[in-house]
Amino acid sequence: MKRSAFLRSGALTVFAAGWGGLPGFVHAAATTQKIIPPYKRTKTLVCIFQRGAMDGLMAVSPYTDPNLKTLRPRLFMSPAQTEGGMFDLDGRFALHPSLAALMPLYKENRMTVVHGVGSPNNTRSHFDAQDFMESGMPHTKNSLSGWLNRALTLQGQPSTPFSGVSITKALPRSLQGEAQSLAISNLEEFILQNNNSGTTPFGSVSSFEELYKQSSNPLLKQSSKDGYEAVKLLDPQLVKQYKPAIGAVYPNSPLGKSLKQIAMLIKMEVGLEIGFAESGGWDTHINQGTINGAFARNLKDFGDSIAAFWTDLRGYQDDVSLMTMTEFGRTVHQNGTGGTDHGRASCLFVLDNTLQGGKVWHRMGGLSKDELEDGRDLPVTTDFRSVFSAAAAHRLQISDKEKLFPGWKGENIF
Amino acid sequence: MRFILPLFVICSLAFNAGEHTNPKPLRMPYKKAGLTEKEAALHLLNRLAFGPAPGQVEKVVSMGLDQWVMSQLNQSAAENELKEKLKRLDALQLSNEQIAGTYLNAVQAIRQLQQSGKLSKDSIPNTEDSAYRKKIQALMESSGLKPPRELNRQLFAQKMIRAIEAENQLSEILTDFWFNHFNVSITKNLAQPYVLTYERDAIRPNVLSNFETLLKATAQHPAMLLYLDNALSGSDNNPLQERARARMTKQNSNRRQNGLNENYARELLELHTLGVDAGYTQQDVQAVAKALSGWTVRPLKQENMAGLAKQVSRRQNLAVVENDFMFAAFRHDEGEKTILNKNYPANGGYAEGLAVIHQLATHPSTAQFICKKLASKFVADEPPANLVSEMSNTFMATSGNIKAVMTTMLNAPEFWEKKYVGSKTKSPFELTVSAVRITNARVMQPFQLYSWCEKMGQPLYGYNAPTGFPDKAAFWINSGSLLNRVNFGVALVENKITGIRVPDPEKNMGMLLGSPSFQNK
Repeated sequence: MKRSAFLRSGALTVFAAGWGGLPGFVHAAATTQKIIPPYKRTKTLVCIFQRGAMDGLMAVSPYTDPNLKTLRPRLFMSPAQTEGGMFDLDGRFALHPSLAALMPLYKENRMTVVHGVGSPNNTRSHFDAQDFMESGMPHTKNSLSGWLNRALTLQGQPSTPFSGVSITKALPRSLQGEAQSLAISNLEEFILQNNNSGTTPFGSVSSFEELYKQSSNPLLKQSSKDGYEAVKLLDPQLVKQYKPAIGAVYPNSPLGKSLKQIAMLIKMEVGLEIGFAESGGWDTHINQGTINGAFARNLKDFGDSIAAFWTDLRGYQDDVSLMTMTEFGRTVHQNGTGGTDHGRASCLFVLDNTLQGGKVWHRMGGLSKDELEDGRDLPVTTDFRSVFSAAAAHRLQISDKEKLFPGWKGENIF
Repeated sequence: MRFILPLFVICSLAFNAGEHTNPKPLRMPYKKAGLTEKEAALHLLNRLAFGPAPGQVEKVVSMGLDQWVMSQLNQSAAENELKEKLKRLDALQLSNEQIAGTYLNAVQAIRQLQQSGKLSKDSIPNTEDSAYRKKIQALMESSGLKPPRELNRQLFAQKMIRAIEAENQLSEILTDFWFNHFNVSITKNLAQPYVLTYERDAIRPNVLSNFETLLKATAQHPAMLLYLDNALSGSDNNPLQERARARMTKQNSNRRQNGLNENYARELLELHTLGVDAGYTQQDVQAVAKALSGWTVRPLKQENMAGLAKQVSRRQNLAVVENDFMFAAFRHDEGEKTILNKNYPANGGYAEGLAVIHQLATHPSTAQFICKKLASKFVADEPPANLVSEMSNTFMATSGNIKAVMTTMLNAPEFWEKKYVGSKTKSPFELTVSAVRITNARVMQPFQLYSWCEKMGQPLYGYNAPTGFPDKAAFWINSGSLLNRVNFGVALVENKITGIRVPDPEKNMGMLLGSPSFQNK
């Protein structure tokens, strides 16, 4: 309700007031409209989904537990190794050396690790587990909305076409639902070809925008409305010319590119409240490696991308939180092919200047066989919703936990 | 070195469930649903084909709808023109072994060139240096070696050309469907070389045959064995392993790679057969992994599986080889197992895995799961339950005869219900192909069409996860992809897509291709 009223009263105008030092980003079309002040900078929650189930026990290892070395002799790592050793975090947990770029953020208390996180639903299916985590309703199949979409409707700011943006090819489950949200794989290509022929087979309707407005298919109608509103605000030329802040070097990877575009949107002040990106390749069934190998390479891309993003946000960091997530963890024991199979709990990372980080938050027990779930997996000791809900409360001031996560009665972890 | 292994003839053919039942005759109730012949023909061309070419609706009407559908179900067109067009794609005929020896990435090529003496063994690989890269390129060319992306380009090209040109359109629709159901991806390096032959040998010949035949063909193809890691899954629980174990512990036990991997077993149950809600357990997953341990790829390259090859050659008579599939008996778990309450006694050997494939392929949950997926492909994203259960009945009665299941679907009133006609959203691939067909565009070089599919959200052969693309409107349509879909139609008609030429485009065409109704089928 709020959104449509807002847009009808002059959607484009609102963005102009908050430009700050970057007026050039907004398309000229917007500047010619009347300006309705005031428009504030938004607070932004950025989520990264690590698809494929990251091995949390290797990213952040409880290296002092003797069972770990016994159960995964080929995969065990510790800070004691002289070459490429892990970073000791607190005497019990250590950070994988590929995450070196994140270590300064941990030391400066900006980063928190949450360990033993997962879903109360014990499915080990990637698809189901991702679906449950993204809907935020781990006991309900085919629930309608994603948790980030509900967050968009619950947060108090006026919405803009850019309130919820996923820099992915498809709109992730997390952002599906009633509230307007965008999926854009590349901002540079977020442009519209016009019907240049000058003629139209559709009577008086001469633009695609008009044509889709009249569509009886609600999905097509809504997607096109969202797209056209947004596309008018961005000048792809200026997007192309974007230069990250000094010192921010993004890896030339899908995640690096996505986070760079999210940083761009934050700095354009187009009203981004929720940004979403993905990282793939975590399903390490074979040859996972340790300090080198598939997992280490992927983790380095992950850490370097996040570190570049945070550096790029200099001047905006205090208004942004970044949270990572993955559908489940992996078996404590190594499998027969130098990798790990589908398990239960994993870990996640929260980056936020205004939270007292620099710690590993957990309720984990040990790794002896009778402490493991089904005798094989790190049990879930922290419900993912208690972290997601805390991040939403902290960054987006969403206090109604029951509306954000229907049916959940737990407590936020911070 | 290629070595020949004694072939164990598997006597029991009981598992090759045949097509003992002929499909029921066609009786398509479109008139009852209130459709004219023309409307029905268009619906068929939208659903069983990649949309009509100009004048094709009328052609199907004059040929007779039943006649046209029968020709599709029987795949009766000879496709001579198509075969001619595909001739220039020389990789389409290669064997796995030839591909493995021809298409090499830089590291593999350097190693091979060194081994063959064409490159000095002391030369230090420096792929950052452009002079070095050029030298390697030249050496590769003169030795007949090619980079993997050239294989991929032929893979993309043949898919586009077939979908656009084939007369047996349903075969192409179903090849796309079954490939996506049994997804493998070129994004996994180990599997990439074999994706082309996977579609050609495991999927395409079986799209309208028997589900078990199709399932077994995918299970035993190198692409699937490598994509979901079963090729590496082995067990020590095998009497033949005793000696090997003793020897290996003496060496470096840390380097030993001989253990179970659950990846394929889980996806086999969840995605390929029963479906995630069928009530199987973690124990079932493990037992299936054990039953399929030892299912692997015969060594296609000497360096690829040299270790395994040595083991096999040392133990003659211990493997079954069928084409490029190999059952390595000494890596098979010979313990007793229970799978979905069925007992499998110890020492089951190769036949055990085949029996598991049979059990899964003919399970009622599989019938339900597969038929629901077919119905959501051909009828509606959320298909009516009645239709699914009728199709499942046919599936069970015919032991998974796909043609019979399709016939049941076409004879059902639901397929023709007006509310479903034109209601399905085209995938980017379907949109692309249907636009090329309706504009009668000439395709000189199809690669740009592949790029557009990717832009619209469908990188063909490149969906990383084993689920395949979720082929539903909610996955394909979002604000970003919709802009690209509209832009595609305009670009095509304005002849801005390199390699594709629309002859004398009508002025209105861009607007038509970009319109909401053309997004659907």
